[in-house]
Amino acid sequence: MSRDELSASQLAELAALDRILMREPVEEEHLELAALVDSVRANAPRMDPTFAAALERRIAARRARRRPPRPALARLATAGGGLLAAAVALAIVISSGVLNSASSPTATTTTGHPRLQAPALAPATPTHAPTTATATPSNGTAVPSGAASSSAPTTAPPPSVAPARGRLVHRVSTLTLAAPPAAMAGVANRVVAATEHSGGVVESSNVSIQGSSSQASFVLAVPSGRLPGLIATLSSLASVRALVQNTADITDGYNAQLARLADSVAERAALLKQLATVATSAQATSIQQKIAALAQRIAAEHRAVERLRSAGHSAALDVTVVPGASKHAVALPAGPLTAAYHRALHALEQILAIALIALAIALPFALSALALWWGAGVVRARARERALNV
Amino acid sequence: MTAIAALPAGGPGASEQFEELYRSSAAEVYAYVASLLRDRSAAEDVTSLAFERAYRRRALFDVHRGSARSWLFTIARNAALDELRRRRRTGALLHDVADDSAQLGELDDEVAERRLLVRDGLASLEPADREVILLKFVGRLSNAEIARVLRCSESNAGTRLHRAIQRLREVCGVTR
Repeated sequence: MSRDELSASQLAELAALDRILMREPVEEEHLELAALVDSVRANAPRMDPTFAAALERRIAARRARRRPPRPALARLATAGGGLLAAAVALAIVISSGVLNSASSPTATTTTGHPRLQAPALAPATPTHAPTTATATPSNGTAVPSGAASSSAPTTAPPPSVAPARGRLVHRVSTLTLAAPPAAMAGVANRVVAATEHSGGVVESSNVSIQGSSSQASFVLAVPSGRLPGLIATLSSLASVRALVQNTADITDGYNAQLARLADSVAERAALLKQLATVATSAQATSIQQKIAALAQRIAAEHRAVERLRSAGHSAALDVTVVPGASKHAVALPAGPLTAAYHRALHALEQILAIALIALAIALPFALSALALWWGAGVVRARARERALNV
Repeated sequence: MTAIAALPAGGPGASEQFEELYRSSAAEVYAYVASLLRDRSAAEDVTSLAFERAYRRRALFDVHRGSARSWLFTIARNAALDELRRRRRTGALLHDVADDSAQLGELDDEVAERRLLVRDGLASLEPADREVILLKFVGRLSNAEIARVLRCSESNAGTRLHRAIQRLREVCGVTR
C-alpha cells in the first residue's frame, strides 16, 4: 500500500464529505463530519458588505471597459517575433560585414598582396626630382633677347612623378577558352561586355566566325586589381583550355628611368643657369641647341616613365576563344530570364545565410531565457511554500 | 462541484462567464485568503488583486489543465503567499481577523462551544493541514481541484485531506 492509497472506509468518508459540501443527505456515521464542516464554514471569515460592494463595482468597471484579451498564442507570437526580428537585424549587421568581405575577393586580394598593390605615386616632389624654378635667369640685361625667349618654353615644370613606394608589378595573362562553334559569337560579345564592366578596355580584337574554324582573340587592358575578377567572369563563359599568368617586377626599371629623367632635368637646369651668364651670342646659341636637344630627351624619358607607371597600374589579358565542346551551359547566350533566375538564386542564398545566422543567434538566447524563466518559477514556488510554513 | 468549467478567451459570453465565476467564488476566495493571511485588510487587497489578475489573464486559462475555480484559487493562493513573503521581508505585523464570537451568543451552547473548539483547533494545525481543510471545507474544491492548486496528484491530495481531517479531529478531541 503506497503512502497515497486510502482504505475503503477512508474513501467512503471523502465521498461523504463531497456530499456534505453539496448539501446532500449522508449516513448517520458521517453526521459528525457534517458538524465539523459546518463549524469550519461557520468560522470562515466573511466579506465586509462595503468591501463586497466595492469589489463588485471594480469588476463591473473592468467589464465595462473590456478589451478582447490577446490569445496566449498571439502573445507568444509577438514575443517570439520580436526576438526573431532582433536576431535578424543583428544577423544582417553581422552578415553584411561577412558577406561583403567574402564577396569582394578582388578588393581583398588587391590590398592584401603587396605584389598586386598598385603603386601610390606621391604628389609631393621627391628629393631627387628635377626642379626648374631656378633655371630662370636673374640678370636679364646680360642675356640676349633671343636666348631668353628660346629658354622660356623649357621652364615649364615636368609632371610630378615619384619613385615607386611599393613594388610595381606588371601582369600579363593569357586565357584560352573553348566554346561550341554556334556560341562563338555570343561568347565574343560577352568577353567585350565583361571587360567593359570591369573598367577595362579592348585594345585589339580579331573575331572570325566561320563554323568549326571560327576564332576570336582579344587583347584586353584592365586595372590590375580587377584582373582576377575578370578572369573568373570570362572563365564562366566557356571551358577554360589554358590559363597562363605572368608577373614582372618593373620597380627597378621604373626607378632607373625616373633617375635618368631627374638627371636630364638637372642638366637642363644647369644649362639654363649657364645661359643666363653667357657673354656672346654664339655661346648662347650653342647652349640653346643643347637645351632643345635635352628637352626632347626629357620628353621621351617622361613618356617612358609614364608608360612604366601605367604598366604597373593595369594588366594585360590576352583572350583567345577557339571552337570546342563546352561544359558550360552558360556559354549559350543567356536571356534575361536566366539572369533573373541566377539573381533570384543568389538572393535566396543570401536570405538563407542570414536566416541561419539569425537562428544561431536567437537559439542560445531563447534557450537561456527559457531556462531562466523555468528556474525563476521553481525558485518562486519554493519561496511561496516556505512563506506558508512560517 | 465547479460552477464554471471553462472561460472563453473572448467573444460573446466571455464576460458573463467571468461574472458567474466571480459571483460563485468571491466569498469563498475571500474566506480562504483571509484564513491564510489572518488579516482582513490584507485579505481584501489580495482578493481584489486575485480577481484583477484572473480577469487580465483569462486568455491564458486552459480548460484542459483544470477547472476555472481551481485556476482562480491558484491565483489567489499565489497572491496570498506573495503577501506573506512580503510581510516576512518587511516584518509587518499581523492583524488578526475580527473575532466573530459575538454571533455565537445567538446559538445554543453546544453548537457555540463546538464552533469555538473547531476554530481553535484549526488555528493550531500545521499550515499545510489547515490550508487543505480550507480549500475543501471553505473553497468546496474537489480533490482534483485541490491537487491542481497544491501541485500534487489527486490521490496525494485525498490522502493529505484525510490526514488533515484526522488531525483536526484529534486537536478538537472528537472521537469516532
